[in-house]
Amino acid sequence: MKKLLLGSTALIVAGFVGSAAEAACDPDYSGVTLTATTQTGPYIASALQIAAKGWEEKTCGTVKVVEFPWSELYPKIVTSLTSGEDTFDVIAFAPAWAPDFTAFLSEMPAEMQEGADWEDIAPVYREALMVWNGKVLSQTMDGDVHTYTYRIDLFEDEANKTAFKEKYGYDLAPPETWAQYLDIAEFFQRPDESLWGTAEAFRRGGQQFWFFFSHAAAYTNHPDNPGSMFFDPETMDAQINNPGWVRGLEEYIKSAKLAPPNALNFSFGEVNAAFAGGQAAQSIGWGDTGVIAADPKQSKVSGNVGSATLPGSDEVWNYKTGEWDKFDKIVRSPFMAFGGWQAAVPSTSRNQEAAWNYIQYLTSPEVSGNAAVTGGTGVNPYRVSHTSDLDLWSDIFSEREAKEYLGAQNESVQAENVALDMRLPGYFSYTEVLEIELSKALAGEASPQEALDAVAEQWNALTDEFGRDNQLAAYRASMGLPN
Amino acid sequence: MMRQDPAKHYFIWPALLVVLVVTIFPLVYSLTTSFMSLRLVPPLPSRFIGFDNYTSLLANPRFWHVAGTTSLIAFTAVALQYVIGFAVALALNSRVPGEGVFRVGFLIPMLVAPVAVALIARQVLNPTMGPLNEFMTLLGFPNLPFLTQTAWALGAIIAVEVWQWTPFVILMLLAGLQTLPNDVYEAAELENATPWQQFWGITFPMLLPISVAVVFIRLIESYKIIDTVFVMTGGGPGISTETLTLFAYQEGFKKFNLGYTSALSFLLLIFITIIGLVYLAILRPYLEKHK
Repeated sequence: MKKLLLGSTALIVAGFVGSAAEAACDPDYSGVTLTATTQTGPYIASALQIAAKGWEEKTCGTVKVVEFPWSELYPKIVTSLTSGEDTFDVIAFAPAWAPDFTAFLSEMPAEMQEGADWEDIAPVYREALMVWNGKVLSQTMDGDVHTYTYRIDLFEDEANKTAFKEKYGYDLAPPETWAQYLDIAEFFQRPDESLWGTAEAFRRGGQQFWFFFSHAAAYTNHPDNPGSMFFDPETMDAQINNPGWVRGLEEYIKSAKLAPPNALNFSFGEVNAAFAGGQAAQSIGWGDTGVIAADPKQSKVSGNVGSATLPGSDEVWNYKTGEWDKFDKIVRSPFMAFGGWQAAVPSTSRNQEAAWNYIQYLTSPEVSGNAAVTGGTGVNPYRVSHTSDLDLWSDIFSEREAKEYLGAQNESVQAENVALDMRLPGYFSYTEVLEIELSKALAGEASPQEALDAVAEQWNALTDEFGRDNQLAAYRASMGLPN
Repeated sequence: MMRQDPAKHYFIWPALLVVLVVTIFPLVYSLTTSFMSLRLVPPLPSRFIGFDNYTSLLANPRFWHVAGTTSLIAFTAVALQYVIGFAVALALNSRVPGEGVFRVGFLIPMLVAPVAVALIARQVLNPTMGPLNEFMTLLGFPNLPFLTQTAWALGAIIAVEVWQWTPFVILMLLAGLQTLPNDVYEAAELENATPWQQFWGITFPMLLPISVAVVFIRLIESYKIIDTVFVMTGGGPGISTETLTLFAYQEGFKKFNLGYTSALSFLLLIFITIIGLVYLAILRPYLEKHK
């Protein structure tokens, strides 16, 4: 009898445990181990790890996050993909590498491409950066767009407002055009007060070229000629030395002269330090600037961090006609600098279903929303819900700061004429050439036209070396143009 | 007479295999790669191109510019390290009070990782937040473009190299000085030789062998400089502070142009070997003379 009682109790307990486990594993990936790879943390890797814990609890699967230094990540992924090994189930990579990876990636399951969570992803990611030749091959897990940051206290100071209007003839406010941006920079150039007009990255190897692209996008991302900013999408001839780009570079050089001394050695880290340290009246860059500057532990200007979209222009260079086109209103071309980390599943993975499920969890509104407001994850907003939920940001920003910050992020990624970053095989060969010539132009060793002519010549040579037809096909795909 | 014990094979062959795998194979593999067109990005099929990578490099003005910059940094920094190091070693050898503290103090820079040293230097030379420019401004001088104008940037890199590696020269020369026999100096003093005469007649010649070795080691090490430059200037402005190793890094780890990078590495090896041979050939007569 005692044995019977014990036996039946054990059965009941086992039944409970079993059903509890089933309830906990939804869907049940018990025994499945996913290997995910990305760059060495904390940025991006910590987001993968945080999500891994939650996913493991939810599905009973396991995620092993393998990190490689930035310089080793590309070769590790590319060799595993090209050799056909199933080394990784999930890869988190820089969007610029997409052209080399897409042939080896599995397509996102159709059920992930519908519903509220799908619609919640900002269109520029959902319709452009995640898509390659009409197929969704990756999922954005980080948003990257350049925005504008300014000091509310300086801009709202009555004396500043009066003096600015007297000098320039219009109201002091976040700039509509890059010309106004330079006016503002000039106005606040006050070295005797340890205050400078602006802060941007100018250092070779310090994210410099993305800042230059942000300037140039306003003059080269023609609304009627999509995908023509960097190359002629018909011939793959470099466009980087056309008058629009030259104007962008001239203004970028002027910005350098209105930035703190030695700003030529600024990478993005120094831009954030300068703005948060109260040394710059305004700056441009990724969303990190606003978050860092709003944090009283890191910043002298917390509570006074205003945000807006990048300035634009009412004139855009038309490469087809070879003329400047004048527009009735300012055309904003917020630049998707870098473009945001992508997560994808290689076709060789034996756990594709589980891997996509993990990506779905990682990028779900709740998990990604928390990552976006957690310092050190490197995740910036890329969902509409990231920028609409003010409560999510209330610990970081004041109400006005949050509204402006999230408004700028949201308007930028949803802008009609948003400018996509270049994504090409051999991306860093192109950008290295550009960095060298930019540095020469910034140091006054070459004129803007000379520097960009040199870049164009070398870009065309690289295109020929890598195969013009291949490069053209990749470029068109990256810009969402049909092949 | 050679022993015919077959047991020797159990010890010799594994050791030889280890040497082959660890040392010779990577070298041969790298040499082979230098004759190939091998790019990881974009992943083009590799092909044999003979000496094309080498001729392309030798025809590339950037290579010669970078080689010139590296030579300038290496020769200037090592010359300053040697002069300053010798002077400090002589001072420490004179049994000054607190010599032990000085000795430890002077050695600290050498123990710090070059990346950390470069980061500290970058902060010290920061125009708005760095103490050096703040001090200069206090004295009424303008902010100086330490890391953004070619001449200043090269000077800053050389200064950091000198600061970090002079202790190595001090250490080696001090060890050499402490082995010099006292009786030679006593004899010189009996002959009323001045300290200056004693230095040029006794100390310098007797330390010549160790000086040659120290300068040789430092010169080779200086030619491989990358971390300091990478952190302080990134090779800019333009390519004006770029060094050979940084150039190789850019080609290898940014552009993943492996064939070209291997050729560049072998050219660097040849470059350093030639400099070493010339250096030793020039000094050989002096070394023979003071043997």
